[in-house]
Amino acid sequence: MSTRLSKALEFANYRVTLNNQNAALKAKTQNLLSYSINGGTFVIDLPLLTFCKQLIDLKHKDAVLLDSFDNPIKVELKAFHKEILSRWFEVTNDYYAEYEKLRRARKVHKILDLNEKEE
Amino acid sequence: MKKKNSRGIIMFAHNNDEIDYFKLAVVNSFLIQKHLGIKNITVVTDSHSLAHAEKELGKAKIKKAINNIVISEKDRNFKRANIRIYKDTSHTAKNLSFYNVNRCDAYDISPYDETILLDADYLVLSDTLNQCWDHNNELMMNWKWQDVMYERKFENLDRLNDLGITMYWATVVYFRKTPYVESFFNCVKHVKDNSQFYRDLYKWKGRLYRNDYSFSVAAHTMSGFVDKGVPQLPTTLYKTFDTDDVHSAVDEETLLLYLEKPRSPGDFMITKWSGVDLHVMNKWAINRISKELLDYVA
Repeated sequence: MSTRLSKALEFANYRVTLNNQNAALKAKTQNLLSYSINGGTFVIDLPLLTFCKQLIDLKHKDAVLLDSFDNPIKVELKAFHKEILSRWFEVTNDYYAEYEKLRRARKVHKILDLNEKEE
Repeated sequence: MKKKNSRGIIMFAHNNDEIDYFKLAVVNSFLIQKHLGIKNITVVTDSHSLAHAEKELGKAKIKKAINNIVISEKDRNFKRANIRIYKDTSHTAKNLSFYNVNRCDAYDISPYDETILLDADYLVLSDTLNQCWDHNNELMMNWKWQDVMYERKFENLDRLNDLGITMYWATVVYFRKTPYVESFFNCVKHVKDNSQFYRDLYKWKGRLYRNDYSFSVAAHTMSGFVDKGVPQLPTTLYKTFDTDDVHSAVDEETLLLYLEKPRSPGDFMITKWSGVDLHVMNKWAINRISKELLDYVA
């Protein structure tokens, strides 16, 4: 096999590994952004965060929110917002750190955080 | 054993000639204790599987992992008849007995008010399942699933047949003891007892009895013949297939996986999987890394 072809194949292998690792990281992030309270399950996202903040700013104490099953769930807004905001920061900061590590990795063993011998 | 407002996990583990399901259940029990912080674990097995595990792992380790073992002797006729192909990657395939007939008894056997029914090969690598407890939905199962190798597509796993009902996975089932759920499990038993009729009616492929089919039919029936009427669990079901392999366990929540390339069968790429529960369908692969996993969590 010519050097050029083997390099192209090596790069293809790297791209597939990178894409899959990115997808695995997204799966982990999505999992961690799911939050259950009072019998309902919420996905922590920007609309939920901003809507809760807006309700708090409008001096609401409790509110009924629709969870990911579209079931109405009553929550105490301040505590709920505090919890989801803290989770959001924790999860997205970890995601950012891991993503940056992946972005900079240029070899399969670096993507997987392995020693070269183990590859 | 019955406790008020108790919560627990139930698994079924009946060994066949090659697969040590009970060992998988022990490994998973330690993972459950570690990640979910739950000690109430029931494993339904048969005396032969238990005796083998006691010889292999020792009684003390089993006792530490599982606090309630229920013995249910095998139906030999079913065992002989229900044979499926087990693969240890594309390179090895074997016809072995698939003993899954008593899973529909989970409701009756479970001593808990809230139960999560798990496959022994569904490795708990996170605390996501703790979100199920005290949920408004009294019964939850997955129909959403995702292959860990994102490029691969298995369209025939979404429905019982190409034009059929949505396929639910009985891999993870959350249920509470309520009259509705009791009827649901009775419906599963009815489908199991009349599987030939329901196979013709719902046109699922093959002769093998699978709980995924009977749970799907029961879910369809019990939701008033509405599609996806039983709610999804708070997590997607992530899977690797029996054509994949596990290289090693890096720590108690991270696995290095060999995933078969979609356009090059028998050829693999490596992936690190961390902090998300995973259904590993290559049973030999879990048994191979079970010692490493036990070192981390036992």
